[in-house]
Amino acid sequence: MDISTGSHLPLSRAMKLLCLLVALTAGLSLLYGIQYYAGGPLRLAVTSPVYDLAVSGDGNLVAAGAQDGAIRLWNIANGWNMLTLAGHTGPVTGVAFDSSASTLFSVGQDGKVLIWDVQTVLSAGSTGGQAKKVLATADGPLNSLAVAANGSLLATIGKDGIVRVWDPESGQVLQAIGPGESTKLAVALSHDGTLVAAGDGEQIQIWEARTGISLHRLEGYVEGEETEGQPGQGEKVTALAFSPDGNYLASGSDGGTVLIWDIEKSKVAWATKGHLASVTKVVFDASSEYLLSSGADNYVRRWRVSGGKFAGLFGGHLGTVTSVAFGADADTIISGGSDGSVRLWDGVNQLERHLVWTRLGLMPVWGTVLAAWMLGSGLLGLVLAWGLWRVHTWGHLGSLALYTIGPLFSIVLPLLETTAYPISWSVRLNIAWPLILLLVWYIFLVAYIRHDAIAIPYQAPEATSLAEQLMAARRSGNIRFGLFVMATWLFIFILLFSVLRRFGLDIAFMRKWLPFIMGGAGLTMFISAAAIALATILALIGALARLSNNPAANGISGFYISLIRGTPLLVQIFIWYLALPQLGITLEPKLAGILALGVNYGAYMTEIFRAGIQAIGIGQYEAAHALGMSSSQTFRRIVMPQALRIVIPPIGNEFIAMMKDSALVSMITVQELTFRAQKLGRQNFRNLETFLIAAAFYWILTIVFQFFQGKLETYMARGERR
Amino acid sequence: MTEPIIKVHGLHKYFGPLHVIKGVDLEVMPREVVVIIGPSGAGKSTFLRCLNFLEEPSDGTVEIDGVEIRAREPGREHRRRIQEIRQKAGMVFQQFNLFPHMTALGNIIEAPITVKKMPEEKAIAKAEELLAWVGLSEKRDEYPSRLSGGQQQRVAIARALAMEPKIMLFDEPTSALDPELIGEVVEVMERLANEGMTMVVVTHEMHFARDVADRIIFMDEGVWVEMGPPDELLTNPKEERTKRFLAHIL
Repeated sequence: MDISTGSHLPLSRAMKLLCLLVALTAGLSLLYGIQYYAGGPLRLAVTSPVYDLAVSGDGNLVAAGAQDGAIRLWNIANGWNMLTLAGHTGPVTGVAFDSSASTLFSVGQDGKVLIWDVQTVLSAGSTGGQAKKVLATADGPLNSLAVAANGSLLATIGKDGIVRVWDPESGQVLQAIGPGESTKLAVALSHDGTLVAAGDGEQIQIWEARTGISLHRLEGYVEGEETEGQPGQGEKVTALAFSPDGNYLASGSDGGTVLIWDIEKSKVAWATKGHLASVTKVVFDASSEYLLSSGADNYVRRWRVSGGKFAGLFGGHLGTVTSVAFGADADTIISGGSDGSVRLWDGVNQLERHLVWTRLGLMPVWGTVLAAWMLGSGLLGLVLAWGLWRVHTWGHLGSLALYTIGPLFSIVLPLLETTAYPISWSVRLNIAWPLILLLVWYIFLVAYIRHDAIAIPYQAPEATSLAEQLMAARRSGNIRFGLFVMATWLFIFILLFSVLRRFGLDIAFMRKWLPFIMGGAGLTMFISAAAIALATILALIGALARLSNNPAANGISGFYISLIRGTPLLVQIFIWYLALPQLGITLEPKLAGILALGVNYGAYMTEIFRAGIQAIGIGQYEAAHALGMSSSQTFRRIVMPQALRIVIPPIGNEFIAMMKDSALVSMITVQELTFRAQKLGRQNFRNLETFLIAAAFYWILTIVFQFFQGKLETYMARGERR
Repeated sequence: MTEPIIKVHGLHKYFGPLHVIKGVDLEVMPREVVVIIGPSGAGKSTFLRCLNFLEEPSDGTVEIDGVEIRAREPGREHRRRIQEIRQKAGMVFQQFNLFPHMTALGNIIEAPITVKKMPEEKAIAKAEELLAWVGLSEKRDEYPSRLSGGQQQRVAIARALAMEPKIMLFDEPTSALDPELIGEVVEVMERLANEGMTMVVVTHEMHFARDVADRIIFMDEGVWVEMGPPDELLTNPKEERTKRFLAHIL
């Protein structure tokens, strides 16, 4: 028998071809997979986060101020043709059109206010042309811009906290109000230019724009509403807007609250906890019928101004939605985000209709790295394929085919998307890490192929026995098999992760609430441990009673087992917690849970203990008795230790099952893993995320316990023949 | 003349309607070795197990080293005496019955510590002595599953001896052994006999019976058929049944 070349049949031509094909697919899909995760060849572009956007009154022009200091101007009517307006030397924090769309205003962190003539800019072509006028301020970065409808008045607020009212014609600062105390993010100007508003900490002030006379001070909270967690309380103003009819002022806060104020009454008309994170912008439509709010929770929400009814949710941004505006009508919505995208939404169907990126250009260094990466992993894939060819079996080809499925999915899934992910370093790394893991795995695999003759069939060392050679060959096969099994696990994980990411799994949310849900793991463990301890005691007593000659003991035990096994655990839990109070026995939820689980599992485990005790042969009793040991000594010293060894594995299984069944006690308000996941999921509409975390914890607990159970079994099994 | 150390009188044993032992008497002197032979189903093992009350006799009395127990007199005193007799009579089983969850040493020290309340160091010293005596010093920390049958049986003998019994009962100690392992167990039993232990042995090992026994009893259908010194009984049996049995196995 020739071991050195393996005991395989020669390859058929078809199988060789298949092997090559699979290897090729593996390599290619790997390349594409990498490209996908890293941004792809067409996506080797860097985008710049949008800070603010504005839409012209006719809805044809979209201007977006971005972090890189450029303003992008898209002509929607002209197929989203993009112009880049360079003028600011720092991030552009505010852009606005006048109502006739003849003038565009912008402010930036460079402290400049720029005024652009739209016609000039459009006719200048893709280079964008120059700003018509520069109003400079030496007093530091500007954060927000508001413009009166006719373009005759501007209001800005800066990092210095001073609200400035400008006359764009003369370039003069008409009024400088402030500085305010804390919030320097929001300023609003009424459409007729008479009122200017700015947030100042927890309150909002309204002044007459031209004179700087303070008119209103909006503070106080929603009256008659619930007192606890009142919206607006302790939160800072981050966004402001006047309604075009001048009746309302909308404000957004860093806590996610959106308020509509009735200016005349200086009162909150309605309030909503609109966003899960800071509100970045609020804006009214031209008819003052709808309000849009955007937030750091990656969503845009639409509200009805009268009554504050929720009227639409727009999700798709991969980061904070920094700005939002109505297009030609209230059902056309345009949003810009920190992911560098500008998106057009259909307000009727709440669907994304168009998406553009604030593109900067290719990144040469990253591209080179990527190319090298692709080349390297492609080679690794081929080496792996070659190795499999050498130890070809259908099973291995099957494994290889499985490897290709994961990466293949990572091609198909992004193809389903209209376009690419944005590329910021953190986002890129965040998305690419599964693939980095994959790459490490491939390197490991190939290193192992070289190291342990995994793929190269076992070469018989000289002067060893046939038996040793066979053993070595077999061991090598076992290792290879184990590696493939591990690889399969890894691929399942990556696949799962990719799919969930594609469907909008909110990692940031999971990260934020992980500790909260994890806080329930301790209680889950405690309840399971206490219940299993109770169950063990009950089971031991039950088994002894069941084995005894005493008819009463036997009967009681039999009744207990029959009753408990014949009724659902959930019903038992409710009986302990909800029904017993009727008999005057009120139990703590935790105690009720432990009792219910312990009594329930005790019944099942009675049978396990009984079987364990019965498995000890009569010879053991006789030997102990012959040595003069009493019955109790025999039971304690001889029977019990041996019975325990028999029942430990099934008890371990029961414990694992119990850990999972302990989720049922969430029904009686015990704040363990499941309860917390459910509560959090319901509150935030993030059930997928919270239950994934809970499931992961149960799984981890189970795996950890199985590990220790294995150790215990090995210990208990000492003296047993292997 | 010294008193017999074992006195059995009128011993009967029923298993339901089955009359297994039909009223036998036996007196064994100290240092005497009695071997009981006979066909299977004759009641040899049952008789032996009645001696230390692993089987409760249906009628008759058993007296070992001055402790007398009557059958059918249950109660606290009865149980106390059984414990006493069991400590005076060590027993070795056909299936060894070592405790699988304890090492060889653990098996030997178990009863002295739990029953006799012997200090652990003393029990261990004693156990090591016994292990050396049966030639298994190096197997001190092995579990029974890693010992051969012969080694297990020798540990079992050491375990019984650790209780410092006055008599030793052997219930077919070599029957479950491979032929090549019988010798080592028989050799230990011979040494035990030579050192003056009173022994009652149920066995099919005719060499042992011939070389070591002071008296051989042939038992069949629950009664003593014939009893006598080995030379006499083995070479010149009087009873027809004894002859037939010996012809069969010799």
